Amino acid sequence: MIDLPKTNTESIIKKKRYRNKESLTAFLCLIPVFMGLSIISYIPTIAVFVLSMFDWNGLTAPKFVALDNFVRIFSRDMYFYDSVRVTIVYAFIAVAGSLLYSLIIALFLNRKIPARPFWRAIFFIPYMLPAAGVFTAWRWLYEVNYGLFNYAFRILGLPPQQFVQSPAQVLPSLALIAVWCSGNLIVIFVASLQNVARVYMEAAEIDGANAWQRFWNVTIPCISPIIFYNMLMALISNLQVITPALAMTNGGPQNGSMFMSYIIYMYGFQKNRLGYASAYAVIFFMIVGIFTAILFKTFGSQFFGGGEKK
Amino acid sequence: MKNHKRIWSLVLTIMLATGILAGCGSDSPTGSSTASSGEASSESGERVTITYSQWGNDTETAATKAVAEKFNASQDRITVEIMQIDHESYISKLNTMATANELPDTGIMSEAGVLTFATNGMLYDISQMYDSDESKPLDSITFKYDGTPVAYSAANEILAIWYNIDLLNEVCAQQGLNVTEFTPPADAGGAWDWDTFVNIAKTLTLDVNGKNANDPDFDKNNIVTYGCSINTLPWQLEVWPLSNGGGFYSADGSEMTVNSPETADALQRIADLYLVHNCSPQPSSTTIALSTSLGSEKIVMATDGAWNVGTYLGPDANFEYGVGVLPYMKEKVTICTGGPNVVFATTKHPEEAMEWLKWYAQEENSWDLIEAGTWMPILESWYTEDEKINKWIDNPYFPEHDMYKSAVVDYAREYSKSTSWYYVNATDVFNSVLDTAMSFAWTGDMTVQEALDKYIPEFEDAYNSGK
Repeated sequence: MIDLPKTNTESIIKKKRYRNKESLTAFLCLIPVFMGLSIISYIPTIAVFVLSMFDWNGLTAPKFVALDNFVRIFSRDMYFYDSVRVTIVYAFIAVAGSLLYSLIIALFLNRKIPARPFWRAIFFIPYMLPAAGVFTAWRWLYEVNYGLFNYAFRILGLPPQQFVQSPAQVLPSLALIAVWCSGNLIVIFVASLQNVARVYMEAAEIDGANAWQRFWNVTIPCISPIIFYNMLMALISNLQVITPALAMTNGGPQNGSMFMSYIIYMYGFQKNRLGYASAYAVIFFMIVGIFTAILFKTFGSQFFGGGEKK
Repeated sequence: MKNHKRIWSLVLTIMLATGILAGCGSDSPTGSSTASSGEASSESGERVTITYSQWGNDTETAATKAVAEKFNASQDRITVEIMQIDHESYISKLNTMATANELPDTGIMSEAGVLTFATNGMLYDISQMYDSDESKPLDSITFKYDGTPVAYSAANEILAIWYNIDLLNEVCAQQGLNVTEFTPPADAGGAWDWDTFVNIAKTLTLDVNGKNANDPDFDKNNIVTYGCSINTLPWQLEVWPLSNGGGFYSADGSEMTVNSPETADALQRIADLYLVHNCSPQPSSTTIALSTSLGSEKIVMATDGAWNVGTYLGPDANFEYGVGVLPYMKEKVTICTGGPNVVFATTKHPEEAMEWLKWYAQEENSWDLIEAGTWMPILESWYTEDEKINKWIDNPYFPEHDMYKSAVVDYAREYSKSTSWYYVNATDVFNSVLDTAMSFAWTGDMTVQEALDKYIPEFEDAYNSGK
């Protein structure tokens, strides 16, 4: 004879009470995180939106100006249009370069090569280095008159390059540094490549697929969610770039590296125009949001396998 | 077991929430001492603590701390604590502290920020700091707002031309030249005019084949030694328009003249050192500092401020160095500047703060920095009385006595003009526009006149923002 609960209703009530208590515990554990996020992220974000409608230098009382800051940015700011252009161009070059570089390196690191842990460390180390040190070192590599790159070019009989001193070369030069520092993407790609089911590759081999066909038709679809994730993360972080301008170029030459984050910092903390900088930040937030939405709309469904319409 | 888990979850949650609330409730930023602590007054017999913020490398900070300790030991009413802030982020940090109402009691201030702070009532009125019969700092290094002194520079600094004597000898020997004819003059009476300077700089510029920039076969793509380098920081560029009869502003600052023909011509001559004459490296933010221009040991002469005696040339240079007066275009001139010491209006101890700054301004009390050559004195007597002059410049880091006396002491006394930030507000905004405009001229994409004309609306906005 099986012992059953007295009634099914009592069992259901017991389960509900258990779930309610579990929920309560979960909520209690989430409170500190939510409070921290509110104080560090949500409230400052709302404050920026509010501040963007004030003229405030941080030293005297703020003055409400409605949309004047936005009008000024779009109509009279000497940096705005250049900054939008250089920020977007830099982000695209850095994202494309980083993804390509990290995927290629990951493919090599996924193979059985001698001293594989050593090579993995070598390619990951640039990501761990302090940004200030990285840019200081690269500033000297790129130095027009005394840098190592131009020294090598002179020895090889090649003309010296301007690198970060040239408005045309500054963005690719800075993007190269971002590519060199993309060790985090390599690690993620290596992990995803190791999770590609061996059975698919064997099936493709049996069907006569060559290495490129296996890569394009098996590997890429299998790791497509990771590609999308890396692309999204790289896009957001490279749109928010500021360190190269702070450490190397001060936004020059000729506004060639006047990134939007740098302008926000410059107006907010160097020129004491907090309301104006907040307006810039709001516009920047919208631009990042638009690009993120475009990315999800165009690539999100394909990479997550929902491309076929039902 | 489940009850234990719930109890521990609750305890952990409460601890975390308490920790966050405690941390957010703190008034003091982490790791820094802030505005004056304690309500004690020196008059009631209790020792008050005041803070003094300063920028500077470790050498300067150590020297400043030694001065503060000397002051603290000399009396029993006031204790001064030094707050070191990195030079690059000094203004940003002060602005943030001002917004948070957590400014120190006193501090050195960036020159460009003084009048902005004064305009917004952030500086304490120090016009009564000196009695009428007391020796005051030079008028040329007094910041004035509406005619009233609001700050005195802590030190006087002028621009001069500094050169690598070893490299100069080597380049002259290589070409069989008389070194004396190519040595920058220390006496303003014998200062080089601009054309002479350019010709000398070109002669001292050598390519990999040993040809100088005056030679028709000179290879400008393979230069191994440059004759000169001009510091292109916007505030330092002002000396050249002044020398050419122009300037960024009128003499009283009531009018902006940045795109006048004289100003544009002066700045074009600077750009042409690289673009036309090939005797200077391309202007670069990397090689502006003397420690990198002369420090590369590939540049014979470079312009920069007198503080380099103590911060680089004296202690760290691997070569023997000399100093000369700047070349001139129409008028012999140099500009003077110096970070001012200010009393912030938020201080709770203004009398003690002014007492500290007045004590600090006396040369005897900041002697370490003057003796090292980092600071020049601010009182006029140090530029006129031989005994004081000798005490000042007969020290290890300084170059030959007569050279420095003529090229720096006498030059400062007779030929220096105040940098415009002593009497014009918002020069930091103006200078950032100038930096952007000049970036088009340094590459040759535009002439200087075209670049300045293109950015005139922005210059006017910047100038008017300070009114």
